[in-house]
Amino acid sequence: MNANAKSILIIGGGIAGITAAVDAAEVGYQVILVEKEAYLGGRVMQMHRYFPKMCPPTCGFEINVRRIKQNPRITVHTLASVEEISGEPGNFKAKVKIDPRYVTGVHAIDDSIAEQLQSERPNDFNYAMENTKALYLPHDMAYPPMYVLDREILSDTDVERLKHICPADTIDMEMMAKTLEIEVGSVIIATGWKPYDTTNLDSLGGGQFQNVISNVMLERLIAPGGPTQGKIVRSSDDQKPGNIAFVQCAGSRDENHLAYCSAVCCMASLKHVRYIREQYESAKITVFYIDIRTIGREEKFYYDLLEDENVSFIKGKVAKINEDASTKNLILDVEDTVSGETLHQNFDMVVLATGMVPNGIDFELPIDLPVDDYGFLIGEASAEGIYSVGCAKRPCDVSRSTKDSTAAALKAIQQLNRGD
Amino acid sequence: MADTNAVNSQAEPQVTMRESSQTIPESSDENEPVFIDPDLEFIQTLRKRGVDTYKKCMQCGTCSATCEISPDFEPFPRKEMSWASWGMKERLMADPDVWLCYHCNDCSTQCPRGANPGDTLAVIRQESIQHWAFPRFLARWVNEPQSILLLLGIPTALLLLALALKVPIEEALGIIPRMGDRIVYPYSSVFPHWLLISFFLFFSFLSLGLGMIGIGRFWRAMKKAFPPDRYAAPGKGLFQSTLVTLKNIFTHDDFAKCNKSFSRTWSHMSVFFGFTALSLVALWIITGRINPFMQGDFVYPFSFLSPWKILANVGGIALLVGIGLMIVDRFKIKEETSIGNYFDWMLIATILLIVITGYATEALHYYRLEPHRHLAYFVHLVLVLGLILYLPYSKLAHMFFRTTALIYAEYSGRKAELSKTEIAIQENAEQNTDQSTTEPQAAAAKAANS
Repeated sequence: MNANAKSILIIGGGIAGITAAVDAAEVGYQVILVEKEAYLGGRVMQMHRYFPKMCPPTCGFEINVRRIKQNPRITVHTLASVEEISGEPGNFKAKVKIDPRYVTGVHAIDDSIAEQLQSERPNDFNYAMENTKALYLPHDMAYPPMYVLDREILSDTDVERLKHICPADTIDMEMMAKTLEIEVGSVIIATGWKPYDTTNLDSLGGGQFQNVISNVMLERLIAPGGPTQGKIVRSSDDQKPGNIAFVQCAGSRDENHLAYCSAVCCMASLKHVRYIREQYESAKITVFYIDIRTIGREEKFYYDLLEDENVSFIKGKVAKINEDASTKNLILDVEDTVSGETLHQNFDMVVLATGMVPNGIDFELPIDLPVDDYGFLIGEASAEGIYSVGCAKRPCDVSRSTKDSTAAALKAIQQLNRGD
Repeated sequence: MADTNAVNSQAEPQVTMRESSQTIPESSDENEPVFIDPDLEFIQTLRKRGVDTYKKCMQCGTCSATCEISPDFEPFPRKEMSWASWGMKERLMADPDVWLCYHCNDCSTQCPRGANPGDTLAVIRQESIQHWAFPRFLARWVNEPQSILLLLGIPTALLLLALALKVPIEEALGIIPRMGDRIVYPYSSVFPHWLLISFFLFFSFLSLGLGMIGIGRFWRAMKKAFPPDRYAAPGKGLFQSTLVTLKNIFTHDDFAKCNKSFSRTWSHMSVFFGFTALSLVALWIITGRINPFMQGDFVYPFSFLSPWKILANVGGIALLVGIGLMIVDRFKIKEETSIGNYFDWMLIATILLIVITGYATEALHYYRLEPHRHLAYFVHLVLVLGLILYLPYSKLAHMFFRTTALIYAEYSGRKAELSKTEIAIQENAEQNTDQSTTEPQAAAAKAANS
């Protein structure tokens, strides 16, 4: 099998990239998996549970990590990005830049060392709802299970302190970024998504009102590793919210924001409703929607909730959210389009169901590829030998993403064999 | 309030409009299916009038909830967008709500689909004028760019005819043109007062009469399709409704309620009061001979220092400034304001030209330029006559239709629904403040208030 000499480059170590990597490697192909964060798993790791089975992502992830660990054909680079791709199908050259982690991994580090530092940084994993120390483990399940040092924010005193308290060779302050040049036969782009920035949603109080949060933040609030250790509370007073509103299509299907439907937010909100109902039995929840888009078997997930007396569904897009300055409660202006009446309802907490933005709009892809108006890669039109998968291509859920990856892994393998 | 509707609607067999706002008003049973017979021509007409976006509407209701002057009960413009998409022309033509909108376009800015509800309502109002106007063919001409020459030709011909008949009539009736000592450099040699006054009065009354026919039809249609018992709030008597509406029009209270239409309020006010001032001056002159305050000799044209001349000039400037602001508004940021269509620009251009020819006449008169001043005056008179003749059909017909719809809204209780909304919002706000009296800030604020 001459083709095995060539590898497959996978850009993005989220669920889509990991799936493609293990699928290709387990049938005997070399894979180089490049991830820009310090850990694998991507957005999925930030979810508390998956719909519709409501299982935590960690159990599936553990299996994937084991498959990666025991497979010598997979090379993982974290804190890495692909800077350039040249060449032709079957014969690509890629430059991979690896940023310094400053943690060598020779000796184990634990929180007792990190705790002694003063410098702090926003915890990105928890959407900056809290801070971590400058030396931090991205999250409990992080793979590789290694700390990262944020060298840029580290104060001079902390630099000295680290030199004193860390065993020799544990941290290398002089670590430099390095660039690898690799040759690969095909490329899979699995660069994924990020949540739409709620600060763009002026009329919905995004980023202005403390008790207006986004759907991805709610995932972290309910997660045991989140900023509140799994408690859903109002950020203004740490009280549990008695009635909560979900604003569907917050900036989605909206030409002023994201003109497209992100496909997962309806199911995500229905999942969130279940979280809340499990945690607070008496909580009242109202979901404001244009259409509830639950397709196929997922529809049952919605119908089951329709029978819950504490959950109401009101058809109407929320036009405006005002904050009562004294109670920090929120007043939603929305037309109930079924009864034909405008409502001004009061809530303790509001969750904005925001959509997905392709990560690709933030950085230049290492090679020119066709994208649509919103920055999603046009999958089938990709250059030969380069295949896009998952949310890099269009908004989708985990199960669709992984099916994409398996298909792309096969295409990538076919490309490797084509030359012979 | 669990959404049983969502499940039920799945089971419904044919196209039925379940919403209370969609049921036929006469129908007592809210759940009775409505047979919809789409008026496809109407759908096409709206497109032709410049709104080709309204079918993009996905009925999310952002517009209704965004609108600051829409009542909570059956708010506009979401329901109108749905009726328009269905081609439900009769209902829209009889809908007083489309006239409660002042076209600030906040709804269009917020619309997630770019469906442009604000402009759609404007075009529906345009159609409404054409629909109820009598005779309808005149309204059609006003809407067609190809009829512009015809529209200009009619007042020109009428005025020329009047001038041609001047001498024969003067001879027949024995009218001696008054060329008193104190009449300085007059126009009356060419345009005698008796002629202008009788001629313009005749056509003004004709226009008013025809306009009344149109709004009579409109009133009956509103009463049938949106009867007063539709609204829970009590209505006012007809007389009181009229008084309240007139006050509202003079103060521009409703207009100013749209925060987004601040500049529009001022431009409209300027034009409105400019018109009012000029009408007062005209009325003063017309009634000159029978006006007890104006006995004896009076000087025409008024001297520049005459209070009436000053009022006329101030009115003219107000008109010019207002129209200028309106034009600027239409070219401002395109997303925020509408650029306007032919119907809209027709009125703006007419008023602008009337002001320009008016001042041109005044200037040419000042410099004693013959026959230029007479020519300018002739053009000015043709345009004014056009404005009067087409009053019941042009965009200026909103004078009739909006006033009628506003009176009906007071009379039927629709306007009271709006005030109810304001009260509800206020109470909600107050309730929230009451809950928080323990908070030191709120307490301090309360103390400061009292």
